[in-house]
Amino acid sequence: MSVIDAVPVTDSEPTEDYVNLGVFGRLTHRRGWLSQHLGTAVIGFVLGYLLGHWLGNVVAGGYSYVQNSGQNNVADTGGLLLGVLGWLFGAGALNYPIAKMMGREPAEERFDPSWTRYFRYTADHKVVGLQYIFSVLTFLFTGGLLAMAIRTELLSPTSHAFGPGTYIAIVSEHGTVMMMMATSIVVGPFGNWLVPLMIGARRTAFPRVEAFSFWTFTAGYLVIMSALFYGGFPTGWTGYAPLQTQAGAGMMSYLVGFAVIGMGMMAAGFNLAVTIVTCRAPGLTWGRLPIFVWSVLATAALLTLATPTLVAGGFLGILDRTAQTAFYVNEHGGSSYLWQNLFWFFGHPEVYIMALPGFGIVAEMLPVFTRKPLFAYKVAAAGMLGVALLSFFVWQHHLFQSGINPDMRPLFMLTTELISIPTGFIYLVGLGTLYKAKIRFEIPMLFALALFFNFLIGGVTGVFLSDVPVNVQVHGSFFVLAHFHYTIMGGLVFAFFGGIYYWFPKMTGKMMNKTLGKIHFWMMFIFFNLTFFPMFIIGLLGQPRRVFEYAQNLQTLNDIASVSAFFLGASFVVFVANFVWSIFINPVAAPPNPWDSLGLEWQTPSPVPYYNFERIPVIMADPYHYSEPNAPQLADLGVGSDRTDEKVEVGK
Amino acid sequence: MTATARRHEVMTSTPEEAEYELRQSINSYWTGGRLLVGMFTFFVASLAFTYFYLRSSNSGGLWRPAHVTAPTGTGAAIFAFSAVAALLAVVGYRRFQSGGVQDWKVAGWTAVMALVIAMGLQIYQLTQLPFYPGSSGYASTFIAWAVTNVFLLICLLYWMETLLAQSMRLRSALPVGETVADSASPRAQKFRGNLESCTFFFQFAAIVAVLFWALIYLI
Amino acid sequence: MTDTSTREPRHFARMFVLWLVVAGVADALFYTLAGPHVPPGTMTTSAKDNQFDFNVLLVIALPVLIAVWIYMGYAIVMWRSTRKGVAEPVGGAVARGNKGVQFAWIASTSTIVMGLFVFGTVALINGAGSGGGEGPNPVWSPNSKAPLQVQVIGQQWKFTYRYPSFGGFETTQLILPNNTTIEFHVTSLDVTHDFWAYQLGVKADANPQLDNVAYTTTRETGSVTVRCDELCGIWHGAMYNYGRVISPAAFEAWATATQRASVANTKLLPPYALTYVPDANGADGGLYPTNVDPYSASEVYGAKVAAS
Repeated sequence: MSVIDAVPVTDSEPTEDYVNLGVFGRLTHRRGWLSQHLGTAVIGFVLGYLLGHWLGNVVAGGYSYVQNSGQNNVADTGGLLLGVLGWLFGAGALNYPIAKMMGREPAEERFDPSWTRYFRYTADHKVVGLQYIFSVLTFLFTGGLLAMAIRTELLSPTSHAFGPGTYIAIVSEHGTVMMMMATSIVVGPFGNWLVPLMIGARRTAFPRVEAFSFWTFTAGYLVIMSALFYGGFPTGWTGYAPLQTQAGAGMMSYLVGFAVIGMGMMAAGFNLAVTIVTCRAPGLTWGRLPIFVWSVLATAALLTLATPTLVAGGFLGILDRTAQTAFYVNEHGGSSYLWQNLFWFFGHPEVYIMALPGFGIVAEMLPVFTRKPLFAYKVAAAGMLGVALLSFFVWQHHLFQSGINPDMRPLFMLTTELISIPTGFIYLVGLGTLYKAKIRFEIPMLFALALFFNFLIGGVTGVFLSDVPVNVQVHGSFFVLAHFHYTIMGGLVFAFFGGIYYWFPKMTGKMMNKTLGKIHFWMMFIFFNLTFFPMFIIGLLGQPRRVFEYAQNLQTLNDIASVSAFFLGASFVVFVANFVWSIFINPVAAPPNPWDSLGLEWQTPSPVPYYNFERIPVIMADPYHYSEPNAPQLADLGVGSDRTDEKVEVGK
Repeated sequence: MTATARRHEVMTSTPEEAEYELRQSINSYWTGGRLLVGMFTFFVASLAFTYFYLRSSNSGGLWRPAHVTAPTGTGAAIFAFSAVAALLAVVGYRRFQSGGVQDWKVAGWTAVMALVIAMGLQIYQLTQLPFYPGSSGYASTFIAWAVTNVFLLICLLYWMETLLAQSMRLRSALPVGETVADSASPRAQKFRGNLESCTFFFQFAAIVAVLFWALIYLI
Repeated sequence: MTDTSTREPRHFARMFVLWLVVAGVADALFYTLAGPHVPPGTMTTSAKDNQFDFNVLLVIALPVLIAVWIYMGYAIVMWRSTRKGVAEPVGGAVARGNKGVQFAWIASTSTIVMGLFVFGTVALINGAGSGGGEGPNPVWSPNSKAPLQVQVIGQQWKFTYRYPSFGGFETTQLILPNNTTIEFHVTSLDVTHDFWAYQLGVKADANPQLDNVAYTTTRETGSVTVRCDELCGIWHGAMYNYGRVISPAAFEAWATATQRASVANTKLLPPYALTYVPDANGADGGLYPTNVDPYSASEVYGAKVAAS
């Protein structure tokens, strides 16, 4: 007698409670080429772009300023926006929202066993997570190739690989693509894949919002890459006005791209925040929440609340360049400072969006590989929330020399330095957990330890930058550049790869190759440091960011950085080889719990069933009882007969 | 299909689980509604910040030359229709809570009409401006607000309309004698959670409408 | 405590001694050997102060870095699992969260941070803005009665300098007198640039339509590199030039000579002002036409013509 039949069940397949979506439902649920998938999304994007561009020409083509300038930003914007709309429509994202206007209910999505589900609009959070992994890797490697181009140009102070226009387009594209990628690199893949499993939920709170976030994110990739076809944009990822106003049509890709990505970020953060707040399994109190979930909660809050400011800033920029408003034009009653304020009001929480999930990942892995409970769990959780809160009050430290509010500099110096206290909690947690531990140097643990090494350098140099007098010297130089690569790449990206090695067996049921993994780690760690550490010195010696010419005496250091960067790039080739090898060429079946983790996500069967948990688990302890040989059972998964007399707590 | 294979594909729930997940859905509506308001607050606050920032920096004396104002009559009408829509949503929800489903529906459809009119007026107003968008800080801010307002009105419109449409289908789906206001069916319960959030959002929109009406037309 | 052979080694004592030695040596070596050469040198008061600030921060930072590294290195060497496969659980007191350690950590990081804040603020105020841009109305300015005003004008893609006390002539070379307090007025004609006079320890954004003031006092003669430090378009990388700090007498001679030599040019320049509206439409039209009243879009931007 199977488990299913042992307990009274009600199938929640479409019953009288659910009516189907009508014509849209038929579209969504059709299978095969004639349904909606990535291909139709691409067609939708192209058709939408053409339609929008044509409309823009009809609307604005007659104005003499458009005819005289030779570029019609209304058409470019219209094309990109309708392109995104077409992409969403083609993917099927709008089926339900439209059917809803006719009062229809969502049909329960059936499990799709075919591989084509990875190319569809789906509400399955595990499929969305994997879709996200491949997309952020695409983002990351695109940005990485651009970085290789930058380092090639900087091999010589005087002879050039690119023209100045091409070079600045590459630099800007690199920065923007990487920033967009980094906002979602952990929250997208691991947040969507793991959070429901870690909190004992069978789905996220708003599965269609989760899918929407993914398809918007990918649409943002198309939009930002379209800048290259427009000749790029010259402003870097910060997009400062008035350069923004002066720039060519590629600027529209930046503004629309950030707005679109922003929509995706808000959707992803919104869904995950609500999921964590409302969808926890019975017994999973706040004090038992895995630390990674805490970090995603803090990040989701930032994503939801800080990103609207970016979208607003981009919206005003779009109006400036299409409706000819004057928000960022000083001469017409606007202010270029306005952009700087709006941008950095988003931009600094953004920095912590790119740090907190990394902390969460390493804090989650440490107890597993030290066989100890997480040290100072409450401090860690409080630290993440503290960072999230404080990050809204530090933005003007990017503007110490700009002339904005000079009397406020001590205040922003204070808030910035204060934020290093909760950030430092992660070190308290890490070092405390390592104390008298039994450390296992598996590949994920190596990445975790590397984060502590790298982020320390990044964090301490951050304190240098927050000090106004020192900032006068290092602001806008390679010192800053090294600092934030140490925090974002040395922190978040290392954590991301650690996370891939750690959760890959759960996600795919296969093990990553260990030898290739170790080669990848050591190459990445060594050459990361060799690439970026010299940049601190380069910056101190006076090289500003985003230049293609520099002082002759800095060539040796720049060449060290460049050559190391090429090796750093090569380390990702090793990773891709490992990834492809382990998934497609020589898959090795993974044991159900290869690291002997106590985490709830590892208690699920492999592969994880479509609905995660057959019965909603009842959580009975926090997941860090590594110190006790007879640890209390983490959760009652309710499989089998021991749950028949269990009382499930129902209600708020 | 074997039971093992099947259990990987189809979710089954015990009655307790169904109830627990229903609670989660309803709570998600509540939490989501509040978070959505937080999200919109930051967007609208960015616009308000823009207003005050440009007003106080007054670059080149061009914040608002000669105190230009967007058409005030149309502006007042837009505000009035938005406010009426919000009021109807709130009052209708009160009636709904005490069982007056029909009252809520009438109020809801009227609110939808008011929103459509407000949106039409807002678009019409954009064609009647006595200033060019780039002529001053005020002019720019007005354009941004007008576009945002259209978007906001569309959101309100969509939310209210989908609820009304849903309630019509629900009427035939519910057992005889039960209304969406008192039925214990899961769909009716979720509907009520959704409606509560929607009404909350209407109240937020009313505050935004008042704020920007004052900023744009009054001061 | 009786059986010494099985007693736990005193980990913290070991680490502390190691840390004391390494951190002490590192600090001493850095401060004596590298410290005096840390950019931007000592050519002006702000450069010297900022160099000192940097050195102080690094002297504080090095022991912190070294402490964490020693601890991590020690942990990696001493506390690794020797067993194949999964290690045995670590129980007992070490597995419990030690409240004292947590409190001490929070207290010590908070103390360091508050100390740094006070130090930075005092340095900023005493340094009269430390050479950073302070906006049009500087809150902190030096005591000097008559600072030399020098205007820095950024435009795509060069810097020029105007000397209002010498008739407002404009040069492409930044020449400054030694032992003098300089009041830089930084502005831009087009996009946002950033005036970074590397050896002077001065950095201020050049914003169009805005005056950004920065102070420093020269202490030594020598040459100066000026770079643009805010991305300003495609030739940003090539936007740099050079200058010199020379003796006051030489400066006086140079300035008066240049003033005389450039009289004809100076006449063609707009009169000295703290900001300039770039002239797009003619002699004094500016970008925003004040002569069209009431303001009309079609007069300025051209009427809408039928779409072709």
